[in-house]
Parts: sequence; C-alpha cells; structure tokens
Amino acid sequence: MIVSASSSDTNPRLRIFGVIIATGLLLLLLALFRVQVLNAEAYGTREQAQSLRRIRMPSARGDIVDRHGVILANNRPSHDVVIYLDQLRGSKRQDIYQVVSSNLAVLAETMKMPVTLTEHEIRTHYQKRRPLPLTVWHDLPPQTQALFAERAAQLPAVDLVASPVRQYPNGSLAAHLLGFAGQAEQPADEDADEFYYYQADTAGKQGIEKTCDEALRGTPGGRTIRVNPTGRSVGEVGFKPAERGDRVTLTIDANIQRIVENALDHAPLSGGAELRAAAVVLDPRTGEVLAMASRPTFDPNLFTPGAPAEEVAWVLRNPASPLLNRAIGARYAPGSTFKPVTLLAALDSGIVKPTDTANCEGSLQIGNRSFRCWSKGGHGRVDAAGAIRLSCDVWFYEKGMTTKPENISKMAVAFGLGQASGFDVSGEVGGLVPTPAWKRMHYGERWWDGDTAQMSIGQSFLLATPLQMARATAALANGGTLWRPFVVRRIETADGTVVSETKPEQNRNISSPHFEFVRQAMLASVQEVGGTGHSAAVKGLSVAGKTGTAEADIRVDGATRRIKRTWFIGFAPYEAPQVAVAVVFEQGDSGGHTAAPVAGQIFAGIYGKSAERASGGATYAD
Amino acid sequence: MPTNRTFPLFKRMDWVLFAAMAALAVMSISFIYSASYRGPGQPMPQFYRQQLFWFAVGLAFYIAVAAVDYRLICQWATVWYVLAILSLVLVLVIGVKVYGARRWLGWGRMGIQPAEVAKLAVIIGLAYYLFHRTTEQRRRWNTVLGAVTLMGVPLVLILVEPDLGSALTLVPIVFGMLFVAGARGKHLALVALMGLCLTPVAWWHMKKYQRERLTVFLNPNRDPLGAGWNLNQSLIAVGSGGVTGKGYLQGTQNLLGYLPRTVTPNDFLFSVIAEEKGFAGGACVVGLYAVVVWRGLRIAADARDRLGALLATGIVGMLFFHVFVNIGMTIGLMPVTGVPLPLLSYGGSFVLVSMTALGLLQNIWIHRRNY
Repeated sequence: MIVSASSSDTNPRLRIFGVIIATGLLLLLLALFRVQVLNAEAYGTREQAQSLRRIRMPSARGDIVDRHGVILANNRPSHDVVIYLDQLRGSKRQDIYQVVSSNLAVLAETMKMPVTLTEHEIRTHYQKRRPLPLTVWHDLPPQTQALFAERAAQLPAVDLVASPVRQYPNGSLAAHLLGFAGQAEQPADEDADEFYYYQADTAGKQGIEKTCDEALRGTPGGRTIRVNPTGRSVGEVGFKPAERGDRVTLTIDANIQRIVENALDHAPLSGGAELRAAAVVLDPRTGEVLAMASRPTFDPNLFTPGAPAEEVAWVLRNPASPLLNRAIGARYAPGSTFKPVTLLAALDSGIVKPTDTANCEGSLQIGNRSFRCWSKGGHGRVDAAGAIRLSCDVWFYEKGMTTKPENISKMAVAFGLGQASGFDVSGEVGGLVPTPAWKRMHYGERWWDGDTAQMSIGQSFLLATPLQMARATAALANGGTLWRPFVVRRIETADGTVVSETKPEQNRNISSPHFEFVRQAMLASVQEVGGTGHSAAVKGLSVAGKTGTAEADIRVDGATRRIKRTWFIGFAPYEAPQVAVAVVFEQGDSGGHTAAPVAGQIFAGIYGKSAERASGGATYAD
Repeated sequence: MPTNRTFPLFKRMDWVLFAAMAALAVMSISFIYSASYRGPGQPMPQFYRQQLFWFAVGLAFYIAVAAVDYRLICQWATVWYVLAILSLVLVLVIGVKVYGARRWLGWGRMGIQPAEVAKLAVIIGLAYYLFHRTTEQRRRWNTVLGAVTLMGVPLVLILVEPDLGSALTLVPIVFGMLFVAGARGKHLALVALMGLCLTPVAWWHMKKYQRERLTVFLNPNRDPLGAGWNLNQSLIAVGSGGVTGKGYLQGTQNLLGYLPRTVTPNDFLFSVIAEEKGFAGGACVVGLYAVVVWRGLRIAADARDRLGALLATGIVGMLFFHVFVNIGMTIGLMPVTGVPLPLLSYGGSFVLVSMTALGLLQNIWIHRRNY
C-alpha cells in the first residue's frame, strides 16, 4: 500500500490547468454559438440548396370556347412511356448509359418499337434532371397502350403516364384566330433558378393562344423533393398543385365561322388561281367578331410534341404563308369598296349633290392621261346612286376631284382606315390613307389630280386589312358608329369566376345626313338585277353591299404580273343590320364574280336561306 | 460501524459526477439510434444496442475500479503499462486491418483498440512515476525526459498503426500532468519546440488522406466534394440545426446520408445532436462535459495525495482534450481526426476507457480521507 501524504495545499498549477480547460470549453461554446445561432440561416440555406429540389409542374391550358360555349381548343391526354433513371440501380462501377440502354433494349424488344433516345440525351437527363421521368415514346395510340400494359408494365423503372396536350377538336376551324401553342422557352430570370428542375409550360405562339397566353397558361404548381447525396429522390416535402388556366370565351360563333370558311373554300376561282383569301364577319351593333377566316390555312394540332417534322417545316416554309392571318395581317388596296366612303365625303363636302351626274364614256381624260372605267363601253349618264350601284369609275373620278383629296382622306380616317383597329389579337397591321402632304414626304412629289381620281375609287396608295374594311362596313351599316372590333368576350377561371369581360367600345361617331343615301345605294347594288353586287343577294334577306376590284402588281419569279384583288363588303339585314361582312381574294376575276357570291353564301348560311343566284342576267365585273 | 463495506462507498460517491455520466450515456444511446435511423420502417444498423452492451460492461468496470483503492491499482502501474505496450505490439502483428490501419484486436463487434487502453495506462504510469519523485526532482529536466520517454514508446507504436489522432492525444495529457506536477515551464517549452521541429518529418510520413485532412482544415472550401466533404457536411448539419434543432430523428443531413454514414455514430455523433437539438442540445453536451471536468478538477484538488491529484489531472486532461478535438472538428475548429467523444461516440474501447477513468475519479474522491 502506498503511504499517502495528505496534500492540503491547493496547487496553483492545478488552478491554471482548470482555467485553461474552462477557457477551452467556453471557446467551444462560443464557436457553437457562431455556427448555430449567428450563421444558422446561411447553413440552413446551404442545407436546403444541396438537398431540396423543386420541380415545376406546368398547368393545363385553359379552354377556348365560342360565344355559345362550343369548344374550340382544349386538352387531351397524351399517353407517354417514360423511364425513371433514378430507379435504375446498377452496380456502382457500371456506367449509367450502359444500365439505361440495356433496360431500354429490353423495353424496345418487348414493345417491338425502336427507341430513338441518344446517348447525349440520356446522359444529360441523368445529370441535370434525374428525378424527372425521361420520355421514351410520346403519345401512344390505344392499342399500343394496351400492349404496354400487357407486356412491359412490369419492367423496372418504366411507366405509362398521361400528360395534357393541346388539341383543337375542330381541326383547322378558326386556326388563324386561335393560333397554336408550343413549348415555352425557359425564362432566363430567377424563376429558372428557383425551380431546379424546370418543366416548360406550353406557350401560345400565335393568335388567341398568344394574346391570352397569360390567362390560358394558369399557375404552374410545384413539388419539392429531398434528394440524397447521389441525387436520388428520397421523398416529397412539399406539393402545390398546378392551377388550370382560365377559360376564354370568344365572340366567335363556331357555326358562322364554319359557314364563312366553307364559303371561302368553295369560292368560284377561275382555273389556276390559288386560294388566298380572308373574310371577317362583325356585329355592327357591338364590334364583336362573329367569324374571321384566312386562306390557305393549317391545322394547329400539328404543333404538338412529336408531330412529324416535315409537315411542320412545310407549314413554316410554304410560300403561301398558311400561318399568316390575312384578315388582320395583310393589307390590300380596297378598290371600289372604298367608293361609299368617297361618296359620303363628297356629299358631306356640300360641293357634290346626290343628283349630280357624270357622263361615262368608258374613260376620263385627266391632264394628259386617260383614266379608264372598268366598263369599257361606259355607263352613260349616271347619278350618285347609279355610280354606286354600277360602280362607275368615271363619276367618282370627276366628283372625287371636286371633293378634294383632303376631304376624302379625312372621311377615310373617320372610318378607321389608315390605322390599326385596336383589335385584341396580336398580329394586326395598320393601313394607309394617303394625303398630299404624305405623298410629298414619301415620294418627294406633288399630288396630282390623277392621284385624287385613283384614291376616289380606292386605288393609288390606299391600303386596308380585311378587318379594317369590315369595321368601316359596320359603321356604314349602323349609320356612323365606329366600334373597336374585338373577339375576346370573357375570361373566367376554371371554377367560373369572371376575370374580365369585354364591353363594346365605341371609337368614333361619324355624323352625316347622307348615310341613308349611301346605304340605299349599296342596297340597290346587291338587290337590283344589274347591280355589281347582285351575286351576293339572298332570297328573303335585304343585303346591302359593294364590290371592289383593285389591280395590283406582284412579282412572281422576277417578272411583274398584274393581278386583281377582289373584294366584297356588305351588311344585312338592311333595315336593322346584324352582320357586316368583308371578303377579299388576293387573286380573282372581279369583286362581283369572285367575292360577292362568297359573301352571298355567308349571308345565306347565317340566315338559313339559300343564296339567290343572279340567274339569266349577266354577272357583273367590278 | 461494522456493516457492509460497500455501503459507505456509495454514500461517499460523487453523485453529481455520476449523474453527468449517466446523462451522457442516455444521450449516447438515443443519438446513436438517431444516427443509424434510416426513416420509418427502414432496416437500420443496431449500433445502439451494441453501445448499450458496452455501457453495461463499462458500468461493471466503473464499479470495480471505484471500489478498490486507487493506490492499490497504481501499485500495479508498471504491469498495466507493460500490458498496454504488449497489446500495442500485438495489434501490429495480429491486428485486424480496417481501412488500411491495424488498430483492432479481436473480432467484429467485440474488438478492442489497444490505443485507447494505452491512454489510460500512460496516465496511471505517469502519475505513479511522478508521484515517486520529490518536488525538487519533478523540477528537473530528466523527469521531463523520463515522462516523454514513458509517453514516447506507446506514441510511436500507435503512430505505426497508423493512428495519428490517438497518438497525438497522449501529448496534451502528458503535458498537462507534467505542468500540474510542477515541471519547469522552460523545460516544457523546450519539449514543445522539439516536437514542432519534428512536424516536417511527421508531414513527410503522413498518408495522403491525413495530409488532405489538414489542408482541408486550413482551407475548408478547397475540395468540398472530396476531402472537404465531411467537414462541410458536418458544418452544414450543425449550422442548419439553428437554436432549437430540427427535432429528434429529423436531422436531414444525417437521415439522407450527407453526413458520412460509416463514421457518423463514432466521429460525427455531435453533429447529429447539434442538427437535431440545435444550439440548445450542443450547449447541453458541452455543459455536461463541463460538469464532468469541474468535478474532476475538484477531485484533483481534494485528493488525499499527489498520486490521486495527478491521476485525476490526467483523466480530466484526457476527457477535455477528446471533447475539444471532437466537437472542434465538427465545426471546423480542429482538423478532422478519428478522436471520439467520451461516452457519447459509438465504440466499445473508449466507452470502457472513459468509464474506467471516471471510476478512478470516483475512487480518488471516495478515498480522499482516511475513514
């Protein structure tokens, strides 16, 4: 046994030793405080950054319906076969591409379908989007789905999933107005950062789909998942369902739209002329667009994922520009359809009286040039009403020059020409109403009397879109109210809460005591045998209208060719107009031959009557 | 009072010290469970049961060691020391190789790390050695040299295993004991200087992973996905725990495997506690160790003789140094080494060593007076 010597003194070294240890423990405590209290947020952020992944889930686009609720665009499920790369467990040393491709080979063998995924696609997906499914086949037809369920559903890591795909159940009906939707580009802003795994929305690329994209798209949802250090998902920590996009109700009447498109497709074009045309039907009481069509057309269903690339490419490259909405995106000289505007300007100026006549001998000498009337033989002596009914150019040459170009321009502008109409779908182009000042600025040349003469019959520099002409027609029909044309009537959420509702908007009111005179002249042009617009007449319906044929030079394969833009504008019923129509063909024989019968079909179709073909009598030019 | 002799022993025990130990043991079991937890219904390693077994064995050691007078135990100091050296030699010959180092004697879960046992043997040996020197002798250079030699033999043997972390823990223990024993400051400084001179040699002999750990300690962001992974993930775990923590079994860093699964129950158990219980939990752990250290120092001060005082000093030094290095490591204050946290970390050897050491402390306390 050790003999102990009692240690009564307190060793000062022990005290120092104690102090050192106490200091050490305090230091630990302070360091812990710094990490866990002062810097907790920063470390918390790092923890989330490395283990949380947010997956953006695109919402289903909202429906587009016509004024009666007929579906124009909605979604259908696309049944895709996907493979989950993070569920494929190979040994650690095995390359992921090897693992995936051997699994895909089995799948391809089972389904007897080739797999077209490239090594690059597989590797990129594995590295960047691991917890997301990788699509092997898009949009399987039902019998292949059955085959999958029967044979391949048990294969590891593969699944059949349904995703919404935009569809247009009526095919190309109102294609230009509806537009189409494609995959949105990934935004470059912080949104892309926040959603580590970004799944693109479907974005509207044209027409209503583009204009109302924000409403149609809805609110994307999101899933927040936790991943382990190898990037494998280990569970969901948050889920926010995507909210379906809003429902857009149009002013379009699908029925009228179909009538209009049908009429365009059956236009009496003489041999060889390509069908390039547009038609607009407005409600002259509100400015609502009841139908809008453009030719050639396309099927918006083509722009869904997995569509045949050649077909898409052809639509994009086709020289006839089938994607162009000619009703708002193309401008043509209005020709004689402008004459009602000239007439109103002439009468309003007070210098020209309705009873003023001109003697038409087939042409008029102005300065050292001869200006022809479309009727070579001439119309003889005609008054104002006759000049509209017969579309006599000579009367308008004479009276137009009397009226002065400024007055005509002013009236044209009052009718909404020379400017975009404010239509609520993107893609509208403006128009052109020339003035002497404008010509001096752009051509450095004075305004000749010949220019006035030409403008009086809707030529020279005048340009208007079919929609602008329809709008002016509506103003003629309703006695001077210029409406802003619109097509989006209402936007409401999926549960029916109205987000916005469009009220008709009156842009201008043209007041003139001579409206009734002009309208009557237009009525005669259609109703009376011998009127140029008679082929637009419909039995049992009082149609008023005006034809137009404007010459235009186009370049085809380096050579200039003179073609005829053929128009018809009109409204019905005369007593209380409900529809205003503008129809144009890029190439045709004449307004009376080509456009008026089409308008007649449209009126007849809308009112459920048969078009009254001008039987026996000659059909008229202009 | 001619009654049961053990009864007064219990009566004279330091119950505060025992309570702190018990609390740490409970935390150990709970958080080793949490560190092995893989989510509801998932199979998980049963480390916590094994640890429970070690605590049971440790308690037996504790009671045994506390009951027999420490002076009797220290009389056998030479035997303990030689046995420790022999086991260190033996482990180099027949030890089980794990991760390229021979540190284990025995098989599987029943393995023992002689390096851990050697720590205690050195403490007892040095206390005994210094106790037999007079105050004057203890101020001499040759005492210091003797102590350094006493430490040097096992240190070199442990280095050969290799186990740098364990080897280096001997240094501050011996320094602390020499200091309290009254060695001259300049002698200690000289030894420290010589040690520093050996650093380049040590660096030269280090394995690649050891060098990487040191470089990462100096610059934690150098290789966050490689050598810096453990440190960074531990920092994130501790830091993201915040003030109150994410809740028991809710530590995502641990649950998802960002904290390295293989070493979390041993080396990074503190990170799990700090993540799940926050600063409150972390401070609580530090507080419990503070209680242990405080009681230990009091025992050193009140010991009946220098032997007891030195023994207690060595034990307190050992416990403190392990706590400081391990917790410091989890928050980047110290480089990453495999130094375990006394009583908390999973592992039989150090649980037994810690409990034996605490038993000795009780022993010194119980026998501080003649009864």
